[in-house]
Amino acid sequence: MTDATTEATYSGGSAGPVPAEDPTAFGWLNTADHKRIGRLFIACSLLFALAGAVADLLVRFDLASSDGHTVLNGDSFVQVFTFTRDSLVLGMLIPLFLGIAIYVVPLQVGAPNIAFGRAAALSFWGWLVSAGVLVGAYIANGGPAGGFSDGVDLHLLALAGLVISLLTGAICVAVTTLTMRAPGMYMDRTPPFAWSALVTASMLVVSLGVVLGQIVILYIEHRYGPRFLGGNYGIWSRIDWMYRTPQLFIYVVPVLGVVAEIMLAAARRWVFEPLALYFTMGLVGLFGFGAWANFGITNEGADIVDGLEGIVLVGLYAGALAGVAGLLALLGFTLWQSRNRPRPRSGAVSLTRPNTAVVAAFGAGTLIAVAALVGLIGAGVDWLQIAGRGTDGNAPLRFTTWVTGQQSLLIYGAGLLGGLAALHWWAPKIWGRRLSEPAGFASLLAIGGGALVAWLGPTLSGVFTEQPQFVYGAPLLTTRYASQVDDSGAEGLSALGAVGVVIVLVGAALVVLNLLVSVAMRKGAETEADPWDGLTPEWLLPSPPPLGAAAALPELTSGTPLLDAELNGNGLNGTGAAAERDADEVPA
Amino acid sequence: MSDTTSTVEAPQPGRYSVPGPPPRPRSQLVGTGFAVAAGAMAVAGALGHYMARRHASGVDPGHDWLAGQSVPNPQLVYALITLLVSVVTAHWAVWASGRGERGHTWVGMALTLVMGLAFFNMVMFSLNRMEFEVGSGEWATLAYAVTGLSLAILIVGMFYLGLMTLRSLGGSVGRDRSTPLGAAVFFWDFAVLAWAATWYVVYVVK
Repeated sequence: MTDATTEATYSGGSAGPVPAEDPTAFGWLNTADHKRIGRLFIACSLLFALAGAVADLLVRFDLASSDGHTVLNGDSFVQVFTFTRDSLVLGMLIPLFLGIAIYVVPLQVGAPNIAFGRAAALSFWGWLVSAGVLVGAYIANGGPAGGFSDGVDLHLLALAGLVISLLTGAICVAVTTLTMRAPGMYMDRTPPFAWSALVTASMLVVSLGVVLGQIVILYIEHRYGPRFLGGNYGIWSRIDWMYRTPQLFIYVVPVLGVVAEIMLAAARRWVFEPLALYFTMGLVGLFGFGAWANFGITNEGADIVDGLEGIVLVGLYAGALAGVAGLLALLGFTLWQSRNRPRPRSGAVSLTRPNTAVVAAFGAGTLIAVAALVGLIGAGVDWLQIAGRGTDGNAPLRFTTWVTGQQSLLIYGAGLLGGLAALHWWAPKIWGRRLSEPAGFASLLAIGGGALVAWLGPTLSGVFTEQPQFVYGAPLLTTRYASQVDDSGAEGLSALGAVGVVIVLVGAALVVLNLLVSVAMRKGAETEADPWDGLTPEWLLPSPPPLGAAAALPELTSGTPLLDAELNGNGLNGTGAAAERDADEVPA
Repeated sequence: MSDTTSTVEAPQPGRYSVPGPPPRPRSQLVGTGFAVAAGAMAVAGALGHYMARRHASGVDPGHDWLAGQSVPNPQLVYALITLLVSVVTAHWAVWASGRGERGHTWVGMALTLVMGLAFFNMVMFSLNRMEFEVGSGEWATLAYAVTGLSLAILIVGMFYLGLMTLRSLGGSVGRDRSTPLGAAVFFWDFAVLAWAATWYVVYVVK
């Protein structure tokens, strides 16, 4: 494996030979190159972020009036409401980080390409076509509560296509991390983002698989009847759990990986206990498994789980909170340990010279912790009600706009802000150019601030006015849903949430604009291989790296070869964290 | 370019190169494992939904639900036994592949595929004999959905087995290259298990 006399001809696992990059459109259509697939996922998912935020805005404006539906009507309200969740989660949140993972993970673990490059390409095109069909189904008056029966069926098929495509991409990422690591890159040396991608991919496989089974039943029930599940009005209650907490925590585990990558680079230090780093991220993923939540909404089998539901709720949120808090504490301790370490050069990223990536990562990590804490509080309140203690006839919080608040915090706050951090951090590696820092700071302020306002409005409304999050099942109840927005304060709080979404939308538009100007129009500064003084192996490669470049990495003896080089001063064969610990333990 | 880039490009001791097999050649097996996990959760989710509806179907769950419907148990049992035997022949093929015995490998795969086709023939016969119509009731609709999901997984499994068999005809079979065939058989094992669970829940417990 380490024969110095041979050339780097490793073609890599099952990825097999990969065609050279063809600059034509056909080349992009036919590509099996992980870099192109990743870029395609990133670009298209950002467009879905804009579409989803606009749809969310329509819903929130509609709820900001006590005169019933003002922007939408009963059925279209349900359609736009559900499209918002579809596009923000299946169109933006999962594919954005999947795209980043497809690009970055092979470089981090030293693989020449993503595992099953063709399958990864199929994942993108399948996702894009399914997303197009989904939008078409909604336009044709399909989707939940849709009036066009075939359109409703088409929506279900599109959902199945989206889930299968995303699962295919997730499997490619997971297999790359597990089986295509370069010699020396053991699992306990895996860079944090690669590990977080593995955690999310694994949890997506076991959780979205359940959705597939549900979709099959819903499709047969709706197409052939009898509609014992409620037909087009019964769809949402059976798939809604994949857009809610705790399942949302699974989707934002890669954000924790991004936070860890950036914070450790800022600290110029590896964590004192890598297993704790991996364990905490795994904990968040594990406790994010949300398929159980179906019982909480449909009441099917509720008598079986009666009495357990509340404690399961509390336990899941507590586990997720423990994971997030543990990770942030670990990173904070590492930063504190490195407080007196001199910066190696002026361009290095650090907390004393924060850039967009550092601040956005800090913000995203904090917002995930806040979401977990708020979720735990809400679950505790609901548990007391389920247990019959302290109930005063109030609606459980999980049926109020409290849920919308959590979605805002995790999708906009953690997801979009974490995505912004990842894009700024890896833009030099992905496009060979830096993104504009002023535009980046403006977008992070807008997204972070907007997400907080978008969270605050519906959360307060859920607590104080018990404004329902959604009315499941009954066709006519959606009109009543809007009428529940009365003068009790829900009207103003919904408007507050709408203002938050407007601000988020401005921030998301700025991100897209920044990419267009800095990358597409080539206005961003060209960059060297390692502009941030990163730690992990991808920063050893040119920016952007040529196809298969990661296979030519030197033998890795840790997940932080650049840190090893800095500590040893003479190359890339140091002993990583162990060397750092030893150096610290030797008295001066 | 930074200094680090030049470090990458400069030849130095420790640079690795692997002209032979990759260091961890089990990508296809691991990928199949993830696909199996997703499929298992899909079947579990569908069966869970079926059982929850059955539980809520009446005073005498299952019996009330299936009033007037007879299930041809012998045929379905024979179908299951056929599948179980196909698992044995599939593993025979993998075992033979590991020993480099191409003839045995191909015979094993061919028998597996033939028994898979025989299974589908028997199940189609049984379902036709039951004369239940999708949409005629809650049980019929759910049974159709859950059975269809399991049969779809078996079809994918047969396609996968067929593809790997064709690859083996092209020469990709032998002691060092048995993983793709083993991965396909692993998926087949799962598909058979998924059908067995579906058969027990829908046609035995009802």
